[in-house]
Order: sequence, then structure tokens, then C-alpha cells
Amino acid sequence: MAKSKTNNNWNSGTFFNRLKYSLWRIVRQVKKEFQLLKIDKMNLVIALLMPPGIIMLFAFMSTSASVTIPVKVSIVSYDSNTFVNQNNYSITTKWDNYTEKYLDAVEESELLELIEFYDASEAEDEYAMETARNEMRDGNIECIIVIPVEFSELLSTGYPGIIELIPDASDAVSIQDKLNAVQDSIKIFVEENDLDPEYILMQHEEFSIPSKYNFRYNYNMTILLPFMTFGISFVLTILVVVQEKPIARLLLTPVQKTEILISKYIVYSIVLALQVFLVLSVAIANGLYIAGNVIDLYLSLYMLGFAGVSLGMFISTVSNTKTEANQLYFAFFILIILLSGMFVPIDAMPDYLQNIAYMLPLSHGAPIIKGILSKGKSFIGFDFFWLLGISTVLIIISFLVMNRKRYEV
Amino acid sequence: MSTTDVKEVVVKVENLEVSFGEKKIIHNVSFNVKRGEIIGFFGISGAGKTTIIRVLTCQISQQNWTGNVHVTNLNPGSKKNHSKILSNIGYVPQLEELNLYYDITPLKNVEVFASCYAMKKKEAISIAKELFSILDIPEDTWNKPLKKMSGGEKKRVSMAIGLIHKPDILFLDEPTTGVDAAKRYDVLSYLKKLNRRLGTTMFLITHDMEAALIVDRAAILRDGKLLEFDSNINLITSLPSNGHVARFSIENLNEDKINIVKRFPDTTNIKTIRVGNEALEVLMDDFEKNLSKLIRFMMENGLKINAMSRDVAAFRRYFQLRIQEEEENERLLRIQQESIEGVEI
Repeated sequence: MAKSKTNNNWNSGTFFNRLKYSLWRIVRQVKKEFQLLKIDKMNLVIALLMPPGIIMLFAFMSTSASVTIPVKVSIVSYDSNTFVNQNNYSITTKWDNYTEKYLDAVEESELLELIEFYDASEAEDEYAMETARNEMRDGNIECIIVIPVEFSELLSTGYPGIIELIPDASDAVSIQDKLNAVQDSIKIFVEENDLDPEYILMQHEEFSIPSKYNFRYNYNMTILLPFMTFGISFVLTILVVVQEKPIARLLLTPVQKTEILISKYIVYSIVLALQVFLVLSVAIANGLYIAGNVIDLYLSLYMLGFAGVSLGMFISTVSNTKTEANQLYFAFFILIILLSGMFVPIDAMPDYLQNIAYMLPLSHGAPIIKGILSKGKSFIGFDFFWLLGISTVLIIISFLVMNRKRYEV
Repeated sequence: MSTTDVKEVVVKVENLEVSFGEKKIIHNVSFNVKRGEIIGFFGISGAGKTTIIRVLTCQISQQNWTGNVHVTNLNPGSKKNHSKILSNIGYVPQLEELNLYYDITPLKNVEVFASCYAMKKKEAISIAKELFSILDIPEDTWNKPLKKMSGGEKKRVSMAIGLIHKPDILFLDEPTTGVDAAKRYDVLSYLKKLNRRLGTTMFLITHDMEAALIVDRAAILRDGKLLEFDSNINLITSLPSNGHVARFSIENLNEDKINIVKRFPDTTNIKTIRVGNEALEVLMDDFEKNLSKLIRFMMENGLKINAMSRDVAAFRRYFQLRIQEEEENERLLRIQQESIEGVEI
């Protein structure tokens, strides 16, 4: 009998013979695996392109993070010896005008960006402080520098100067950055005017958490609440359409695709309402400080969660397999987390990344929650309507995709 | 056709042609189904069975097909009819996982699907219990998660769900697929039982020839063409000698030996089917008269017959012969065309 080309005695013979056949089997298996992998091309593309994509994104963000972002300030001056005409900036002084010199130092400092100067001396601008505080509440400035009544007089007569600093304490992590920036301006001011290096920097935090509340817990909650509400509602819905096999069979009844999708939105919206209620109840029971209205907080968390539901349903509708949905979820979630401003401030990112970041739900949801918790702001505003808009767009796309999708039993 | 007949027809298909792009899947198919009938569409994979059922169940857009098609007197080509048609029909897919939610109980599954037809829960449960009883689904499983049921039980729950809204027609896609040989007859007998008890018209597509046992009329499809559509008995009696068949066990059976049998001189209408390695079935005209002559002819030509028996052909044999005949016709046509083309060149 002629010897068969494929030897059946695979487990006999020399070690090298067995090794050779073992390798041959492995090669065949590898080939088969590649064939299987090729079937789900989308999955392969995501798996191959996403990791380098994330690394590149990190690299871009890290490069941009070295760029100094000046702290936006407004200065309110009560220096009675100083008169600054708001129209032509002409200044009249009895003493040396140290307010003007300090303004020069602020403008010279790379760490500060002067947004507005208010002259509150001689009742020139009696609402200056209130206006500046509102600016800070709206997030247009990050701190207020207050120049006291006898600022020029004290410095002219050889006493140390006093400057009052009111930082936005709702972002507790960046308070030190604000302090450093103001100190930089004082350093320039002292050096250029050959003053006594002694000065007093008085700090009064604005929008800080009252002392009877746990600072660490409340600070963490401003980050955790939006992340958790968005993340959980997002992950909850990514498989609801793609993994439901009997949908094809349901479509052989009078039920329409849109009805199936609407019913899912309704169910997950109700689940979300309950979820937000529970999250808030537990957070409040544990000592959550809410400067604003609790209803505002509930509605804004709900809106953010709804954006998560919409994005999850969108992924579930456009995906053809569960693996594809999981991959897309991971890709979106990484992008949303990285560009949320948690790692690198959004304003420090290159323009094109900022454009992407400001399209994502968390970049708008997190500031609303923080504003309500720390500053007592209302939920109504651009960020809220952006979330509403992006959710609507995602819902419309989901319905269009669902209607085009072919289901066969 | 009388007025009464028109009323009885629940599915009417005339000159149905289905194409996807350049590829034509169904070629000029016509048939009708009467109320209360069990119709079986038989064919190998790719014959076009599923495509026809998809047209009838509104799954294929009118852009892809032409013809005069009516299901319960409604044209599935018109989108506005879809909801009504889908209310009038039931569907049992090939795979239970496409029809059932495995994590919930059979009765909860019933509720889900009954709600699609806007049925009241009480009514749906009452019908489900009746169907479950007819289908011998053990009562202790009705409220347990479906995933704990056996394959056969799931199949029966699937049938019950297809019938929950008392449809005029129940479409069944390969109802015996995935069911072991012993249970296949059970599934078929349950279908017959349901048909008798409820009077539901059934339209099943299958490649399981055993299903012919329960159908009133059988259709044979090949490459999108409807070759036959008639009752089982009519199809079999159309064979030579009303389907009488002689089965020979021949030593070292091969094509040469089969060709010898085909050359039996006493009749021109002789058909042979090879069954396995050594068996050959033969059908011919004047069976009683020719059988002994055929045996003698085979022995004279050196064929060693180890055993012989006689029977009446089953639908399976009819199907094989019909497909064989069609293939032979196509082969001859191809040769003819090639020779014409050769002459033209």
C-alpha cells in the first residue's frame, strides 16, 4: 500500500516529527481563526485601530497640557486714591497710583488673564462686586482680585500691601493654581516697583463647600455623580437591541420597528428616572451639599443620563453583533472620559480636540451638575439644551438606522 | 372557478418572480392554498422555499418581486396591507431562539407575543393553556423559565405562540429541523392534530421528506422553479406502474451495472435510483409483467443479485426521481445549446 501523504502516526516517531505535526495543526488552526476574524470586519477594524488611536489621543492631549492656560480674573478696586476713567483709562491719584501699577503687573503676568477691571472706589461702580461674582458663577472668570481702600496709601507710606483674592472654590483642585498665578503677578509688581517684598494676600473662597459638610465627599460627588449617571445608563442600553434575537419574529406580527424602539426608550427612561432618584437619595442621605435646587439637580442628572441612554441605544442599533456593540461602547466611553476635561482641561486641548470634546455629552453634563451643586445655578442653559439636542439627534439616527435594518427569521 | 372556491383560497400566487439585483431567485411560480389545508414546500437548500415564504409574510419589498400574490385576500406588495396580513398569519421559525425569550416562562412568552396582536392577557393565557394541552406541554413547565425546557418542548411552545392569535394560516419554516429522529414524527403529528382540532391552514417549508406524511398537497421546488404541486397520492401514482418499486441488492454496484439495468429492452419507461452502496430501486411500466423479465435480464448480464424486495414508492423516492429527471433535462438542454452554439461558430 502506498504511503499516505498525511501520516496517521502523528503521535509516534521522533520528537521532531511530533513537533512538526503539532506545528502544522497550529498553523491550520491559526488560518481558521483568521478566517473567522475576517467575517466580522468592523470588529477587526475597531480592535486594530482603537488602541493606537487612544495612544495618539493621549499624546496630543499631553503635548497640549504643557501649554500654560492663564487664570481668568476680574479686578475690583476699592483704592480710594485712585480714579480710573472707564472710557479713556485716565487716572488721577493723590498718592502713587499703585492700582494702575498692579494692573500692569497682572497684564504682564503670563499666568493671569485680565477679563474685567471694576473701579468700585468713590461709589463709581457700586455693583462691581456683585457683577464680578455673577461672572464667576457663570464660569466666565475663575477668581476675583480685590484691591482694598488703602492699597496705594499703605504702599506709598512704606507699609506692606494687602490684596484680597476670591477664587472659585467649586473646583477645589485648581485653587492652588489660582493662588500661584496671583502670587506671580504680585512678584512682578514688587520687583518692577522696587517695593518691600512683604505683602499680605487675603483669601476668601467663593462657592466653597460649607464647613459642616464633608469636603472630600462633596468634591468627589461633583465628579462622580455625572460620570456614574451617564456611564451606567450608557452601558445599560448598549445591548438592548443587538442582543434581542426575537425582534425578527416580533416583526412578523403587526408590531413596527419604531414601536419596538420607542418601547425600549420608554422602559429605559423609567429605569433612569428611578436610578437618578436612588442615586440622589443616597447621595443626599450621605451629606451631599446642594447649593442650588434639588429639582434642578434631578432634572440635569436625568438629562445627562438620557444622553447616555440615547448613545447606548444608538450603538445598539447600529451594531450588527454584540462584540461590535461592546467595542463601540469602549471606543466611545474612552473618548468621552479622555475628552471630558478630567485629565486635561478642555481649554488646554488643541482646537480640533476642543471641538470634539464640546460635542460630547459629559463635557456639557459635568459643568451643569457642578454649577448646581457648588454655585446654586439653574439647570436651564446652553449645556442643558446641548444635551437635549445631542440626545434628539442620536434618537433620530437610531430610528433611521433601525428602519433600514433588515431582520430575517 | 366558482365563488365558493374563491372564498376558500387563502393564499393565491400567480406568476411570482423574485429577483435581487441581476439574480433571479424565483421563476414564474403559481399556486394556491385552500382554507384548512396543510401544504408542504419541499426542496433542497437554495431551491427558493424561504424566499416564497418571505414574500407571503411581507418580508421582501415589492421592489424585488412581481406577480399577483394574495394572502388572506390582501396583497403583500402594498405596505398598508402588512399589518392586516401579519395579524392574519402566524409564523414558526426554524430556530426557537428567534421566536422565544429563553429567560422567561412559556406563559410570559405568550403574553409578549399576544400583546403584539393587542390581545387581552386573560384571553391569551386561556388560549395558550388550550394549545399547551393539545401539544402535551407538561403543566409544571408553564411557569418555569423556558431555557429549562427540552428542545422538543421549546419547539411546541414555538408552535403554540404561532397560533396564539388564532391565525388563518400558520407558516412553519423547517418545523422538524433540530429535532431528533424519534421526535420528528411527534412534531408532525402535533401539527396534524392542531390542523384537525383548530382547522388552521398550514404552510410548511422543509427538506424533511417525512413531512409529506401529513401534507394534503406537496410542492417540489428546484432552483426557484415549481416543478410539481399536487397531492401526495397523485404524485406517486403518476410514477410508472402507480409507483410500484423493486429493490435489488446488487454485489459491487457501480454506474456500469446501473446502465445495464437502464438498457432493459422490454420497456422504454424505466427509472432507477441508487440507494446507498449496494441497493438499486427500479420503477417501470407493466411492473407485474416485466419484473421477472428484468431479473432474468440482470442475471444474464452478469449482475449478482443478493436480495430483492418490492414496495410502493414513498414521497421521498418521487422527490428524488423528479429532481433527477429535472437535472437530466437540464443536462440535455445544455448539450443541445452547446451544439447549436458550435454550429453557429
